[in-house]
Amino acid sequence: MNYAARTFRDVLYEKPGPKTRSLITVFTVISALLLFLMLFFAIRSFYVNDQLNPKYWFFFTKITTWQFIGKGLVGTFEAAVLAGIMAFIMGFTMMLARISRFPFSNKIAAAVIEFTRGVPTLLFIYFFFLIAPGMGLKLPSLLKISLPVAISASGVVAEVLRSGVNAVPKGQKEAGLCIGMTEWQTFIKVIFPQGFKYVIPALISEIVIVVKDTTYAYVVSFPDLMQNARVLISNYDAMLSVYLTVAVIYILINYYLNKLASMIEKKASTGGFYGSRNRIKKYQ
Amino acid sequence: MAPVIELKNINKHFGDHHVLKDISLSVEKGEVVVIIGPSGSGKSTLCRTINRLETIDSGEILIDGERLPEEGRNLAKLRSQIGMVFQSFNLFAHKNVLDNITMGPVTVLHKSHSTSKDEAMELLKRVGVGSEAHKLPSQLSGGQQQRVAIARALAMHPKAILFDEPTSALDPEMINEVLDVMTKLASDGMTMLIVTHEMNFARRVADRVIFMDDGRIVEEAKPEDFFENPKTERAKTFLNSIKSE
Repeated sequence: MNYAARTFRDVLYEKPGPKTRSLITVFTVISALLLFLMLFFAIRSFYVNDQLNPKYWFFFTKITTWQFIGKGLVGTFEAAVLAGIMAFIMGFTMMLARISRFPFSNKIAAAVIEFTRGVPTLLFIYFFFLIAPGMGLKLPSLLKISLPVAISASGVVAEVLRSGVNAVPKGQKEAGLCIGMTEWQTFIKVIFPQGFKYVIPALISEIVIVVKDTTYAYVVSFPDLMQNARVLISNYDAMLSVYLTVAVIYILINYYLNKLASMIEKKASTGGFYGSRNRIKKYQ
Repeated sequence: MAPVIELKNINKHFGDHHVLKDISLSVEKGEVVVIIGPSGSGKSTLCRTINRLETIDSGEILIDGERLPEEGRNLAKLRSQIGMVFQSFNLFAHKNVLDNITMGPVTVLHKSHSTSKDEAMELLKRVGVGSEAHKLPSQLSGGQQQRVAIARALAMHPKAILFDEPTSALDPEMINEVLDVMTKLASDGMTMLIVTHEMNFARRVADRVIFMDDGRIVEEAKPEDFFENPKTERAKTFLNSIKSE
């Protein structure tokens, strides 16, 4: 019984017979051909439109270009981390209000959660960029991007945390209460750590969305990767090459975030997430 | 001296279903009381009302002569004095065995980590799982988990321990290792209220047997009297039905 070795194919389909095997081969060949054709036409259209001209690419050999991109990456990192932390704090608070025993705070929290989930991030950004300063709220540009992104993510974080907390078996709470802990102690020491563990992969998916949302930083002129890319574009008059490079960087960041999520998920499902820590403790 | 646990005229409904009908019982210090009865007779519910995991509709619950508070820190304090062992163990899944036991003493009794750790190791040895202290609950067998759960209850130095069908979720070969620990506890003078289906164990360990059916206490007697000469028809039928198994 090696569950780790099972893939979704083992779950969804039975082992292929001879007919299915030849069908799979045919489809593989057709898809490969289509992929090749698409790639061919993409590169051909680059060529036809003169996008492969060295003048669009030469500046990537300069160290300053990469330093500039690196600075943008740091900006993206700052905005995403700050937004992530704020989203977690806000989401945690909203989750507490949502599950509290007071019906009034439940309703308010539910409304706030719906609001933050329903309104596009860009509208929050416009609010802090265009409207808030008129009301006397002047924020540094880092906050102008990370605060609205955090607000936009907070509702989802709240619901994800709540689903985790709800998934913890009822007996855990009863056991906590029975050794004389208060409801709050039981929640913080027993319920939340377990619920949090269940939803780490979902939270990381939300971080991916936060990272992508920080690309709105150009709206408030915060120098993130996207904003710096736009500067490069206007400097060298090279749209496609810069956007392509930046896209690859974003893909890499989010790919590794997702990989981290599935790694943690796997560890958690085999009980090793806390277990490994305990094993380390034992040998210290 | 007031009984450790005293219930007076407890009534409870689940919707239209009257699950506890005018129950009164008391458990004296050092006494082992076993509750038996067919499933659905309300014995687990009764057990759970004593530390207010289930609320009651009317009646009075006294712990050491003191009325069971309905909420807040006072309720938590009283709960800390009454241990509970569940059918499904309910060990804290994210903590290792040692941390499961020290959580109560550290959080509730404000003992130091090192004192509670030493004490926890003592208790684990006493219930025979001393070598498993650093494992997670999920790495233990059911019998081991239940023994850890008993150690967790003991770590609070409770006035009494409630056992809610402690062996019902165990594989047959693990039942005895848990019952042995409980027997030892009983002979050490622990006050215990046990809901169980283990008749031989009840006969051996109980000072008093309470037979429940349909939300009522039908019969209450010394184990030898109850098992040899049940007075009520209902108890006779029940005992016959389990004998034939």
